Amino acid sequence: MLCLAARAIADERGVAIPHGTVELLSEQESIQPGHAIHLGLHFRLEKGWHIYWINPGDSGEPPRLEWHLPAGLRAGALEWPAPSRLPILPLMDYGYEGEVLLPVPIENTADLAPGEEAALSADLTAIVCREVCIPAKANLSLSLPVRVDRPGESAETQAMFRAARKALPKPAPANWRPSAKDLGDSFELRVNTGHSVSEAWFAPLDPLEIENAAPQKSVSTAAGVRLILKKSDQLLKPVSRLRGVLVLPQGAYLINAPVAPAPAKRPQQGAVR
Amino acid sequence: MRRGFAYVVTLVLMALSTAALAARVGEPAPNFTAIDSNGKAHTLAAYHGKFVVLEWHNQGCPYTQKHYNSGNMERLQKEWTQKGVVWLTVISSAPGTQGYVTAEQENDYLRRMNAAPTAALLDPTGDLGHLYSAKTTPHMFIISPDGVLIYDGAIDDKPTPDPADIATSRNYVSQALREAMSGKPVSTPTSRSYGCSVKYAH
Repeated sequence: MLCLAARAIADERGVAIPHGTVELLSEQESIQPGHAIHLGLHFRLEKGWHIYWINPGDSGEPPRLEWHLPAGLRAGALEWPAPSRLPILPLMDYGYEGEVLLPVPIENTADLAPGEEAALSADLTAIVCREVCIPAKANLSLSLPVRVDRPGESAETQAMFRAARKALPKPAPANWRPSAKDLGDSFELRVNTGHSVSEAWFAPLDPLEIENAAPQKSVSTAAGVRLILKKSDQLLKPVSRLRGVLVLPQGAYLINAPVAPAPAKRPQQGAVR
Repeated sequence: MRRGFAYVVTLVLMALSTAALAARVGEPAPNFTAIDSNGKAHTLAAYHGKFVVLEWHNQGCPYTQKHYNSGNMERLQKEWTQKGVVWLTVISSAPGTQGYVTAEQENDYLRRMNAAPTAALLDPTGDLGHLYSAKTTPHMFIISPDGVLIYDGAIDDKPTPDPADIATSRNYVSQALREAMSGKPVSTPTSRSYGCSVKYAH
């Protein structure tokens, strides 16, 4: 009961959307003229409901923001933590259940006078889904005092932003040398992590490259990992690079792998399926 | 009774052939027979010589509602069927899931919306949906008069449930039909279909 009451109070701070709340948060307590800040889009959803990653997979769509900022403030792109796989058999979506914070950097060349309040707001459009989907729209706003001194980090949100950054995929180390091969009906993605990998899966950034719902065969090798990704039936042209997120037990990594073209002689099709 | 038996046989045959077939742009579209909301059977092969549009549908889905409540889908159905296109709306929602309708409910909906597909095919088993790997509602397919799949994807390039986006969107179905009818290759033959997941039986 206590827990529910506390949750209800916390929820009052966010804006209600179907089956959850959303709130615009700031990592900093104030805004300093000439210095960038970080805002974040914080979703809390009821159990079983989800929103989507930048590539939503087979259905759904990612949340979008239309910013209303004082002149001289400019919002960058949303930063996307590694998604979860959301199987909706026979489909596969990519997104977030429960709670997620999507950070967004705000450039600041604004002519802000100390003592003023900077009014920051954004119109959100999103879709919240379980088996069914409900569109969500919300106007989110936040006001930050303008101060000449370096802003303190808001103790309350600091931990949340720290956790969100930890969940962002990291650039893959250069010596991992990710590479891919076109095998005709599938891609083989190789990543030399330098150690054997017990489990791995790949979320593509671009739609229509791989069959999202097809099982990904992961083979641990001495040098790292090899993944077999079934091509999408809708992929009609060769792909020169595979871009996406490789999710490993120790964390998620950004992958941008050159694709070696299929051998000129395609393997006999239809013999084995 | 006889029709019921034929339907079951067709579905069994269709299920057997599914493993060997897939709907891929540039390849022959898999044949099917399915029953519409008036009890009439439609076989793809019988429409040889005509363009056929398949439109996956779920009247409870906000993305479908975007195109129906705005009148966009009904307008497209009228425009293209008047030009000789066979437009088949397909409902693959399983019983008990969102968008499942009886024949009577579907006919009532078609009347209420003033919709004008050639027919609304009822696919509660999801066999036709699986045959074409229909993922979302809407999800659009176009089959050329010689039976080749020439489009597989979204209805347009604005993946939102907001009807206000229709006016500024590029409609991939109309574009593909216009191009194919004037003998040109389809410039966007596949796209990521957007919408709600098709509510298949689990």
